[in-house]
Amino acid sequence: MVTVSPPEPGTDQPRKGVLGMPATAVRHVRRSAASTPGRLFVIGVALVLLSLLTGLAGAIGLQQKQSTVDNLITHREPVAAASQQIYRSLSDADATAASAFLAGGTMPEELRDRYDLDIAQAGANLTKAAADVAGVPEAEAQVDQLAQQLPVYTGLVETARAYNRQGFPAGAAYLREASGLMRAKLLPAAQELYSIDFRRLADAQAQARAFPWVTAALVLALLGALVATQLYLTRRTNRLLNIGLVVATGSVVLALAWGSASLLIASNDVADGHDSGTRQVELAVQARIVALKMRANETLTLVARGDGADYEAEWQDLTAELAGDGDNLLARAQELAADQETRDVLETARATVDDWLGVHQKVRELDDGGAYQQAVDLAIGDSPEGAAATFAELDGKLLEAINNGRTRFVTETSAAGNALTGLVPGVAVLAVVAAVGVTMGVRERLREYR
Amino acid sequence: MRLARGNRVALLSVALVVALSACASVPKPVDLATVDSVERPSPVGVEVNPAPPSTSAAPAPDCDPTASLRPPDPMPAPGAMPSGSTMREIQEAGKLVAGVDQNTYLFGFRDPTTNQLEGFDIDRARDIAEAIFGDRTKIQFKVMTSAGRIPALVNEEVDVVVRTFTATCQRWEEVNFSATYFMAGQRLLVERGSEVTTLDDLGGEKVCAAEASTSIKTIAEHEAEPVPVQVENWSDCLVMLQQGQVAAVSTDNVILAGMAAQDPNLTMVGPTFTPEPYGIGVPKGNEDMVGFVNGVLEQTIASGEWARSYDRWLGGIDGPRPAPPTPTYRD
Repeated sequence: MVTVSPPEPGTDQPRKGVLGMPATAVRHVRRSAASTPGRLFVIGVALVLLSLLTGLAGAIGLQQKQSTVDNLITHREPVAAASQQIYRSLSDADATAASAFLAGGTMPEELRDRYDLDIAQAGANLTKAAADVAGVPEAEAQVDQLAQQLPVYTGLVETARAYNRQGFPAGAAYLREASGLMRAKLLPAAQELYSIDFRRLADAQAQARAFPWVTAALVLALLGALVATQLYLTRRTNRLLNIGLVVATGSVVLALAWGSASLLIASNDVADGHDSGTRQVELAVQARIVALKMRANETLTLVARGDGADYEAEWQDLTAELAGDGDNLLARAQELAADQETRDVLETARATVDDWLGVHQKVRELDDGGAYQQAVDLAIGDSPEGAAATFAELDGKLLEAINNGRTRFVTETSAAGNALTGLVPGVAVLAVVAAVGVTMGVRERLREYR
Repeated sequence: MRLARGNRVALLSVALVVALSACASVPKPVDLATVDSVERPSPVGVEVNPAPPSTSAAPAPDCDPTASLRPPDPMPAPGAMPSGSTMREIQEAGKLVAGVDQNTYLFGFRDPTTNQLEGFDIDRARDIAEAIFGDRTKIQFKVMTSAGRIPALVNEEVDVVVRTFTATCQRWEEVNFSATYFMAGQRLLVERGSEVTTLDDLGGEKVCAAEASTSIKTIAEHEAEPVPVQVENWSDCLVMLQQGQVAAVSTDNVILAGMAAQDPNLTMVGPTFTPEPYGIGVPKGNEDMVGFVNGVLEQTIASGEWARSYDRWLGGIDGPRPAPPTPTYRD
């Protein structure tokens, strides 16, 4: 609310309201600027303000950059990793439940442990992912779906177990319903959540690499103003140098050089972390998801016992993504991998995929040829040449590649954070030095006019 | 406590001001998550009120669906199938390929403790393997849904289908059937304590049956207009009934008996309202095989094998053991 009291009648001079003040100030400045000392005073004040403003803007901008980079390591990447772990655990739980069913009798202990661990991991990672979705409605929708359906899924699996133990085929029906729920609702939600989180990570990385245009413009303007002032002073006073202004210019140049170098290094590091870390991880994660889907299809084909043509068809489609000619996921991950070790791990993974395809073909031949029990044994038995062992090896290799990529990401991104160390206080101090230099320099000249 | 009059007026006006300001915006509790309804899990492939299968051809001509082809006399000995016959081809392939079910308790189901397929239908398929090879294990089971039976036979993916397969004139158009080896009939399965006794009581209610079964057709065409719910496997109906997603399951009494045997809270009600003669399906063109299968059925009925199998799986389920069906032949 503006309350300007009307001029009181009877007083000689109308009182100036608050609104009148800036106008008066402008008039004052204009009047003083007409004389050289006045103009010099105005220039000095303006330069001090500009230095402090630039310092403030630079410090805030750099502080934000620093926290964006830190946030990549402490938050964005771990959340993306958690959401891929949700998918992995859920998919593995589904395949393990199917394997346990095929094994017959009571559930073998190692399969039971594996299933329980999968569910526990999925739940734990889901809470981590859930803590992060505020303000991202599409991610929230996926987390909601997962949180609501996961207990339903486990309920169905337990019902299936109870019936299996009694020897009733209703168990198979409950397991089929559970697996259907997993494939129709849980896994698509987990996959969507994980792609959202990877997208958010990539966006944050792009943000960390973004060039600070506003700060850069301010710094250049300040530098220009300082140089112009010095040229003006030289012309007016015939003195070549003004120590204060030279110091101010020097500190601005130093801040500019330091800031540019650090930001350039940091931006490069973030980019490396993205390409040889995040991108490679993303491809290895996709490969792992495809492998998990294939494993589930392999076991479900046997559960269906001759009625599983759809599962086998899906297996065949997925094979191309993992082991297709040239442009498959593993080959692309291998290209992006930064170190020889990861490249070797992925090479082994590719060889393991070939082994697995061979074993799978044998499983199908046995099953199609009527040797169902042998097919089941080869698919889920614990022989080292069996499909279970081969798949476990592949999964292990892919996990290794993912972990290597994650380490690579953290190394590069921490380097980016380190490159920015000290920059914020440094820029602040340099700005103050510039302001002080301007004050000293201008005051010295002003003194000469007295 | 009594308030002085002035105080009371003051209090009243304060209350009025508070009430008025409250009228402007009533604060509401904030709900972080609102969940009003839950979508129940449902079996894969479930369809409520499915479109009736397009009746491609004209209705099948009237026939006696139970009348099959006469067996050869004498029957060939195991391992010595006549050359050029379908049985000879099977003998040379080394295994009989039988289309069966793994989800119908007592008829064709997977025993979860042994991972083996068992049941009355499975026994019938093994009888045929024994007659061809003299070995009940020379058999490859191919599990199929009700809807998968006719395509499997038409494409000759299997040698026989032994899977609670009702012989109908419509189906005779596409496949051959053996003589009737079991006489079933459609009934209703409901929760114990339900007042439903017939399909007439189920107008507008959901009733479950398997896709492409004779039962789903009966439900869809019933005058009381129950809502047919179609699933892939019979055991999916049991799941939906247990989860309260359908009011009843209606199909052949023996399939229902298998469900009731898995859950004592369910009970069969009402009369048997359709005849469902089960026959073994054989591809068209393999007429010699149809006769051979009929011969095997006669042998197993005569030897008491049929009765032993009945007692093992169906004994006591639905009254005393009936006499084995008498085969009828077309000539």
